[in-house]
Amino acid sequence: MDSSAVQTWALLILLAPLAGAIAAGVLGPGVLKGRSHWPVILGVGAAVLGAFKLFGLVRHGAHEGAHSVTVVLYQWFAAYEGKWFNVEVLVDPLTVIMLLVVTGVSLLVIIYSRDYMREDGQAVKGYERFFAYLGLFVFSMVALVLGGNFLLLYLGWEAVGLCSFLLIGFYYDKPAAAAAAKKAFLVNRIGDFGFGLGILLIYLTFGSLDFATVFDMAERGVAVSGDLSYGRVTAIALLLLCGAVGKSAQLPLHVWLPDAMEGPSPVSALIHAATMVTAGVYMIVRCGSIFAASPLAMTIVALIGGLTALFAASIALVQYDMKRILAYSTISQLGYMFLGLGVSAAGSAVFHLYTHAFFKALLFLAAGSVMHAMGGIIDIRKFGGLRRVLPWTYRTMFLGCLALAGFPLLSGFWSKDEIIHAAFTQDKFLGGLALLTAVMTAFYTFRMFFRAFFGTTRVPEGVHAHESGLWMLVPLFVLSIGAVFAGFVGVEVGHGGMLGLFRPHGAFHHFLEPVLTPFTHGGHEAHATLGHFQEFGLMYASAALSVFGIAVAYTLYVDSPMLAMIMRRVFPATHELLLNKYHVDEGYDRFIVRPLRSLGRFCAAIDEHLIDGLVWLVTAVPRLIGMLLRSIQQGSLQGYAASMMVGLAVLLAFVLWGVIS
Amino acid sequence: MADWIPNILTLMTLSPLLGIFFLMLIDARDHKRLRLMAMVTSLATFALAIVAAVDFSRAADAADRWDAFHLKSTTAWLGDSVGGVVDIAYRVGVDGISLSLVLLTAFLMPLVVWGSFSSIRERVREYFILLLLLEVGMLGVFCALDLFLFYVCFEFTLVPLYFIIGIWGGPQRRKAANKFFIYTLTGSVLMFAAILFLAHHAYVTNGIGVFTLDILKLTAMGQQYLIPYNVQWWLFLAFAAGFAIKVPFFPVHTWLPLAHTEAPTAGSVILAGVLLKLGTYGFLRLSLPILPDASVRFAPMMATLAVIGIIYGALCAWVQTDVKKLVAYSSVSHLGFCMLGMFSMKMAGATGSVLYMLNHGLSTGALFLVIGMVYERYHTREMSRIGGLAKPMPWMAFFLVFFTLSSIGLPGLNGFIGEFLVLLGTAASGTVSDNLSAGRLGFGYAAAAALGIIFGAVYMLLMCRRVLFGPVVEPPGTPDASQGLPPDLNLRERFILAPLAIVCVVLGVWPKPLIETIQPAIMANVFQVKQDLQYAGETDAVAPEVIFAVDAIEAADDNDGERSS
Repeated sequence: MDSSAVQTWALLILLAPLAGAIAAGVLGPGVLKGRSHWPVILGVGAAVLGAFKLFGLVRHGAHEGAHSVTVVLYQWFAAYEGKWFNVEVLVDPLTVIMLLVVTGVSLLVIIYSRDYMREDGQAVKGYERFFAYLGLFVFSMVALVLGGNFLLLYLGWEAVGLCSFLLIGFYYDKPAAAAAAKKAFLVNRIGDFGFGLGILLIYLTFGSLDFATVFDMAERGVAVSGDLSYGRVTAIALLLLCGAVGKSAQLPLHVWLPDAMEGPSPVSALIHAATMVTAGVYMIVRCGSIFAASPLAMTIVALIGGLTALFAASIALVQYDMKRILAYSTISQLGYMFLGLGVSAAGSAVFHLYTHAFFKALLFLAAGSVMHAMGGIIDIRKFGGLRRVLPWTYRTMFLGCLALAGFPLLSGFWSKDEIIHAAFTQDKFLGGLALLTAVMTAFYTFRMFFRAFFGTTRVPEGVHAHESGLWMLVPLFVLSIGAVFAGFVGVEVGHGGMLGLFRPHGAFHHFLEPVLTPFTHGGHEAHATLGHFQEFGLMYASAALSVFGIAVAYTLYVDSPMLAMIMRRVFPATHELLLNKYHVDEGYDRFIVRPLRSLGRFCAAIDEHLIDGLVWLVTAVPRLIGMLLRSIQQGSLQGYAASMMVGLAVLLAFVLWGVIS
Repeated sequence: MADWIPNILTLMTLSPLLGIFFLMLIDARDHKRLRLMAMVTSLATFALAIVAAVDFSRAADAADRWDAFHLKSTTAWLGDSVGGVVDIAYRVGVDGISLSLVLLTAFLMPLVVWGSFSSIRERVREYFILLLLLEVGMLGVFCALDLFLFYVCFEFTLVPLYFIIGIWGGPQRRKAANKFFIYTLTGSVLMFAAILFLAHHAYVTNGIGVFTLDILKLTAMGQQYLIPYNVQWWLFLAFAAGFAIKVPFFPVHTWLPLAHTEAPTAGSVILAGVLLKLGTYGFLRLSLPILPDASVRFAPMMATLAVIGIIYGALCAWVQTDVKKLVAYSSVSHLGFCMLGMFSMKMAGATGSVLYMLNHGLSTGALFLVIGMVYERYHTREMSRIGGLAKPMPWMAFFLVFFTLSSIGLPGLNGFIGEFLVLLGTAASGTVSDNLSAGRLGFGYAAAAALGIIFGAVYMLLMCRRVLFGPVVEPPGTPDASQGLPPDLNLRERFILAPLAIVCVVLGVWPKPLIETIQPAIMANVFQVKQDLQYAGETDAVAPEVIFAVDAIEAADDNDGERSS
């Protein structure tokens, strides 16, 4: 690969969104006002071009056998003289796929926001701020993806967290939004604590933080001091996993993502569905040689993923807030990706990341369109039958829901099926978790869909419902096309297999393959262990389960709604538990936050009473002496004369004693 | 080599005195001119500091020694510097470490002066005179290469600040000023005893024989194992008494919250920005190089206290209701990082420590400025009485969030690099990759300290949320516009904060020049001092009766090992 061309395009991808953000921030308030979206659209548009260009370069490079290139931009800071940490970019197939997803979805979301962030044609307050933050987010996210060492990964990681914080709290005068923003940042910081320690341990172990050096050493099983021990590599993997779990909202750090829905819907679509939350998946794939070296860590990744998938899906079954249902669904789908990673199907995980970006962004934007039309109300109990009111939103959302539910031949089907398949190959229990989640997914997706769009038309009082304009609809159309067809880049067509036509593992996987060698080396060959019937049988099964879930949802919410009521009555405790999200938030508050806060109060009390008391005691000594001596200095002449006489006498006695003896 | 201006350090250090002279000439009621004069003076000092920095780099380039002290000048004072028995002289000179702190001081000063334009309306002349006197003291400490000068300046800083807090402070200002004064003075008396003992030790040491307070000679003496370990042990504690209180190091930090809360804005900014660094600078410049064995010996204890301070300070900050007190406790927590870094005995840790001094000065100083600006409008710092200020004060909100992010170490801003290097040095303390012998800390210390990073985010974001977000809460009768202040920051206030923000970004993105200045100095002047011991020219054989402390430590460790096994 031509490294100077890579450098040029990588710099463009990095700097164009940043420039757009700065322009929106600086010129927005005074000059651009309602046109503040333009610099950001242009900047991110340029980044999309750059991403395609890099994609071309990498494809071209792959033919020549050079699939990865690192370009040092400048020296950043040094641990000691001569030991510099650089600002550098790494470009390989994984990078460009992430770049395409990130910049592409970002551009669509930013276009969509042009209308979404208006009320009655007028830009909302903080319009320019919103676009400046979005531009900053795109910059941070591409920095995360492009970064060529752990420090830059961490930089991007924290920076996207910051943008997420700023954007969740966009409506900062809403206390819930301000609290959600803070919660998101803090929960992520807990994960980052582990991530940061992992980076320190990597430096201790490998004496470097460069991806190239570290992964090379990890693959060869060497460390600075001799061989790389299993315990050390497991520790590193688990510490890194902490960060991934926080960012990708996996158990037990998932609590921030549902609350993050307090932010504007485009933000939910972009940051909390399509891009930022997938950073954890990206990181694990990137650090494949570390994770793959530790089967224990891989098992834990798989378990966390599988359990999170099921756990979040079960909560989504009973929620009423459309965006929260989608948020739990995101957690659940990210769980799938982690499951895929854990069973060494990293290619499938990235594939699911890619398809998920399309349909989940679509769903959030469509939900945003509903919310926009309903005057900010998103509770599916408060409206219904919207398919007549919002015909285009209805159609696009239908496609998104089908893709999420894993309906055969749509994008979500292919990627999810691969993961289920890989999970089954590795472990029946994990496979079972994945299949169960698949049914639930189909059910909760269409429960939401049917409740919102079917039945008699109801809208909240005083709301003048209307279909959105083209700025919002066009991104929906583009994403629906992606939701339906994007999966085919990962499928081989015309080689037998399902329906005699489709086989998993297509061009997408071949393109990624060079990056995934650590996984495939240590991992299991999925196709070898399963027979033909099992392989495609699973595919038919998961397709059937998806349709079954949709059918159940139809029965319960369109055909005979009474049944749903009865279900709720029959299992009140379960319903309550799920509705309250297993009381995790309350538990954290009770067992972690409050005790710590009490400890804080205790420390402050120590400060005020104990330490200052001791200080007072120290000062009391001279004060006491002073008080005692003061009584001698009472100012009476006779007293002085008397004490002088006594003193003289003592002195004389002393001297005489000396003379005598 | 030819300096542009001879004695530039002296000129710079004393330049505020000239300003004070002019301030005396101006009518005490003419606030406008007084302010202007103070501003001009502090800017002139800053300009001289920049000249000094340029001169330093020229001298360093000319001598090809970025690791040495430059711009040195000596004037005999007490005794005779050549051949006499007593050698106490006016010696100044800077290396990369002290130069960066000089720049920090001179940079903050004009901003502080400018920030006081609207907040100080009584006894304006006295106020500015004290502020400028304070600057003389601080610059003197950083430039001093003689312990006597160092000590005089170190102590001298107390006096102006005592009055600044005591006269222009809040309702409890007397108590705060007294507590601050007595607390710090107590510590430094012990330090002074140690200084005298050190000079005396030089006098009795075979091969020196001079009662000298020359820092470079004392450093060389320490580095050549001419101070027995048991002596070092006591000296370290005595120095620590003076410096630890100044830092402020857990558990002798309790003067700080009160002093910060009661001090006027400028006092808080200078206190947090520069004065606390006198303590950490003292450890780095004197304790570590002069008492190397004791420093290694005490490192785990110091690091343990530092880690406790990090977490304890953060927890205390979390439950404060007064914004200033919250930031004050955050200083306790942050300075713990600073101490931890240097006692890792690693280049990374010490570099991080110096960067942390600078970064903390910038971001915490800026935070106090922002809080002061809010206070001028709302006359309260209680978080329960103000809220949602992002709405009426968007500019203020921007800066408060920005400096909060800098303070909690967001990568890309200045705070991160210092924090990361401190943790890296601490974690890597046991390794020898940077050509230094292994320190005695390890990954466990780093892990515990990293907890402080989580808590740091907790309390700072809590503050932001309470002050900036949610529905607007304002005490009755505010914002106070009686002094002509608009609801949001005016242009002057924005221009005060903007340079700080810019420096924060630059140091986060492009810290290379700074690091290239600091690191050689740390290597050469803190850890592996190569200065020749001039008086020892005739004796190659160093004092034989010295207990080689490193051996002593190893022996002690062996004992520990035997006991535990």
